[in-house]
Amino acid sequence: MSGSARTFAIVCALPALALVLTACGSDSSDEVAADDEQTLTVWAMGEEGQRLQEVADEFNEEFPNVTIDVTPVGWDQAHQKLVAAAAGGELPDVAQMGSTMMGEFIELDVLEPIDTSTFSQDDFFPAAWENNVVDDEVYAVPWYVDTRVLYYRTDLADEAGATHPPATWDELKELAVAYQEQAGTQYGISLPAGGEGAWQSLLPFLYSAGGSLVDDDGNATLDTPEATKALEEYASYFDEGLSNTSVQPGQTVEQDFGSGDAPMFISGPWMVNNISEALPELDGKWAAVPLPADEASVSWVGGASLVTFTDSQHKAAAQEFISFLTSPEKQADWYEVSRSLPANMAAWDDPRLAEDPQLNAFEEQLSTAGDVPAMSQWNEFAHELDVAIEQMANGGADPTTTASELQAAAEPLTE
Amino acid sequence: MARTTSVSPDDASSGQPPEIDDAATATGPPRRRGRRARLGTQHLAGWLFSTPFLALFGTFMAFPIVASLVMSFTDFGLRNVTDPLSTEFVGLENYTELFGDETFRRALFNTAYFVVVGVPLTIGLGLVAAVLLNSSIDRFRTFFRVGFYTPVVTSIVAVAVVWRFVLDPGDGLISGVAAEFGWTTPDFLSSSTLAMPSLIAMAVWRNLGFPMVLFLAGLQSIPSEVREASRIDGAGAVQEFRKITVPLLRPTMLYVAVITTIGYLNVFEEPFVMTGGGPADSTLTTSLYMYREGFDFFHMGYASAMAYTLFVIVLAITLLQLRFLRDKTT
Repeated sequence: MSGSARTFAIVCALPALALVLTACGSDSSDEVAADDEQTLTVWAMGEEGQRLQEVADEFNEEFPNVTIDVTPVGWDQAHQKLVAAAAGGELPDVAQMGSTMMGEFIELDVLEPIDTSTFSQDDFFPAAWENNVVDDEVYAVPWYVDTRVLYYRTDLADEAGATHPPATWDELKELAVAYQEQAGTQYGISLPAGGEGAWQSLLPFLYSAGGSLVDDDGNATLDTPEATKALEEYASYFDEGLSNTSVQPGQTVEQDFGSGDAPMFISGPWMVNNISEALPELDGKWAAVPLPADEASVSWVGGASLVTFTDSQHKAAAQEFISFLTSPEKQADWYEVSRSLPANMAAWDDPRLAEDPQLNAFEEQLSTAGDVPAMSQWNEFAHELDVAIEQMANGGADPTTTASELQAAAEPLTE
Repeated sequence: MARTTSVSPDDASSGQPPEIDDAATATGPPRRRGRRARLGTQHLAGWLFSTPFLALFGTFMAFPIVASLVMSFTDFGLRNVTDPLSTEFVGLENYTELFGDETFRRALFNTAYFVVVGVPLTIGLGLVAAVLLNSSIDRFRTFFRVGFYTPVVTSIVAVAVVWRFVLDPGDGLISGVAAEFGWTTPDFLSSSTLAMPSLIAMAVWRNLGFPMVLFLAGLQSIPSEVREASRIDGAGAVQEFRKITVPLLRPTMLYVAVITTIGYLNVFEEPFVMTGGGPADSTLTTSLYMYREGFDFFHMGYASAMAYTLFVIVLAITLLQLRFLRDKTT
């Protein structure tokens, strides 16, 4: 009895011991040269994660000594997985990093600054590059970009008597009213009235009015006259009944766009595919155009960059892989595979992109777009923006008061 | 929890471990040493058998529990994820800040709202369902049982999809049916007054199968002789329910009340998938606020303080329930 119990105990104790041992795993910092035999671990999110392995195999033909091991990570869990990996010292060699996540990981001090003699600022869209810079140090290479433009139903616009896409804020408002009054649509436009991510549609208004989220020193600038003007304009769509004030998480705009209930919305390039796949009957009845201008037509740049980590022992090979992925030729290839817009401007001269008329609006918008500054407390900052939008759209809050409350809430987050 | 509190006083009064009682009369003093050695081996074996559980419990439960208690007295933030040693102790600062935090008070209020309305409804409807299934319906009994219990084991994500459709203001089930009669329905989830009742309705529907199953088991353990006797004495159905069924279900009732209340005090999934805490924080519960502060904003110290405040509330309410709902006949 006691003998077998002891054996049993040892069998049971072993996994526990193994648990303790792996917890204090080794972390030697021997760097491996680029031409040595090695395996590079790469984390890629969402769709990219499913498709990157193909491209990685091409890289392997050029660099037979480097095996690339791509792990797909869902966008919904990417943030927590990366933070957990940072805490446990288990980060990969290369990772894709969403533009709004940069600030946090720079703050965590786990990103290896990139070599600016290998990657040149001039090759990339300025806002995409700026997004990765904190205190003159560059932490990531832009991989692909997205930017928000205006989508609208051209067939209903004809009914509403519009002859050209709205080019100014006034024309946007006029078209929204005309949709309702002359084309008989339920709403004029679909703008988020709050909830997570509502800031994404407010930002084009803020930037087009000449405003900004923070100034050059990184202090919040949300109660400037420009910011107040943007908030007023945004809120007016709800006050005048031109946009739905209902907020539901997980709501998609495609359905209302298809039915004509909300014939305009502001969104990113993925919507081109979403609309043509989900609503083939709309073919030729809609268009994506640059944002209507106030002071100017300024959108913002999202997308993803590629980073490597200070703990990685394969930094040399990682740099080769990142160079490979961000070269104009591979960027154009990648556009074909994934439809993500290249961050490298030279890739846009490739015929596969240059000849696609649907991309014109995006290229135009990207050249002037602003960045979302890398902020360590971005999630909280964004939440304050979402709350402000909800208060105006649903609580009837006055834009001027909202602006000063927003500024008060944001100031401690940007110190 | 109910068991430990009721059993331990007996142990304390008898003054010795229970296993000695059975053997004491049979064995005399000379065999004592051998018995002790045998007991020692048994203890060792007991400990060894417990090792897997203790190792897992220690690593994944006890350690995080203690760590988060310590964390609640620190300013643990994003930066400390990679550099935990630079965390600073701030004493009770997180707790004092918590009591001045309007959003937290709002979250506590919402949680209380959810519990006060949701728990009695869940238990009451669970009891009604159990009584009906136990006596009235003979055919399709299994069908109904499975029907009521299925939502309990269904993934919240699937439930959310269905309830979104039910509550959708445009072409949802409720608005569709109402439109047939020419009525208009409000936009449930976007209204700060109706969002919480909608979530409660959904939670009650989702959870009532759990008390129902327990009450069914409780009802079947009520001897038919007792019921028979009451009927012979001239009790009607209502009297039988009030004077026989409910009192004899008291132990089940206690367990169901405690478990349901604890579950509802920790409510997280329903607002997380349905409203995200909105509109205007009207469905922000304590757990959801904790999640937001801890995992979205990385104020781990603050979120831990919130977790322990909620823990104290849960503990206090549970103790009160145990005190007031305990079987008074023993």
